[in-house]
Amino acid sequence: MAAAGAADAQARFGHSVKGLLTEKVTSCGTDVIALTKQVLKGSRSAELLGQAAKNMVTQEDAILHSEDSLRKMAIITTHLQYHVEQSSNLQDQLSHLLK
Amino acid sequence: MRRGAQGWGRGLCEVQAGSGLCVRGSVPMATAAEGLSEAGAQPAKQPAVETAEEAKEPAEADINELCKDMFNKMATYLTGELTATSEDYKLLENMNKLTSLKYLEMKDIAINISRNLKDLNKKYAALQPYLEQINLIEEQVAALEQAAYKLDAYSKKLEAKYKKLEKR
Repeated sequence: MAAAGAADAQARFGHSVKGLLTEKVTSCGTDVIALTKQVLKGSRSAELLGQAAKNMVTQEDAILHSEDSLRKMAIITTHLQYHVEQSSNLQDQLSHLLK
Repeated sequence: MRRGAQGWGRGLCEVQAGSGLCVRGSVPMATAAEGLSEAGAQPAKQPAVETAEEAKEPAEADINELCKDMFNKMATYLTGELTATSEDYKLLENMNKLTSLKYLEMKDIAINISRNLKDLNKKYAALQPYLEQINLIEEQVAALEQAAYKLDAYSKKLEAKYKKLEKR
């Protein structure tokens, strides 16, 4: 412990306390920044978000196409209802004529 | 080797005497002074020559302001780093919400289509006997038409034979 302290003191020989403190503060700040970046990297959030974005892009076309098809189907169904209603009216007229 | 730093309110002292004692950290100035004086009481026995530097420090108020500024900026930077990812997740959440709304609309449309098709099937079932009658009538009309063609052909043949016989 004493030898390590002596080695540290010799390494810092000639540096002022202010300089050492500045250096220490800078290194602490750098370490905090590195830690934050490592935490973000370790969470794999960028990877997951990228995968989610890719899936969303793939899905979006399918969703729009499906919605378009459903709306067309609704319109066709409405037209069919008109045709059936017309047929029913004609049937009533026919039965009235046959009487 | 001995160094002394003054003017920081709490002294930062680094004392290394021949006995191997190493003290580093914030200590009160009186204790540091005593340590210095005790170390200075045995100059004759120290083999190494110690030098000291007098550090000129800025005023305390500036240091405090600078420290506050430094921590604020560090906090802002770290907040920004974390906010970026958080905003990405919020964007993904919004996209998912919009997609779910889209699916809800499509579900409503599909429900309407299903209801309409059920009604159509019922009406078609009601019309089914009449449609079968229409099919039957069409078949009978087709058979009648064939019979009419055959009759027409036979009558033409008969006419031609009659004319032939009349010419003789």
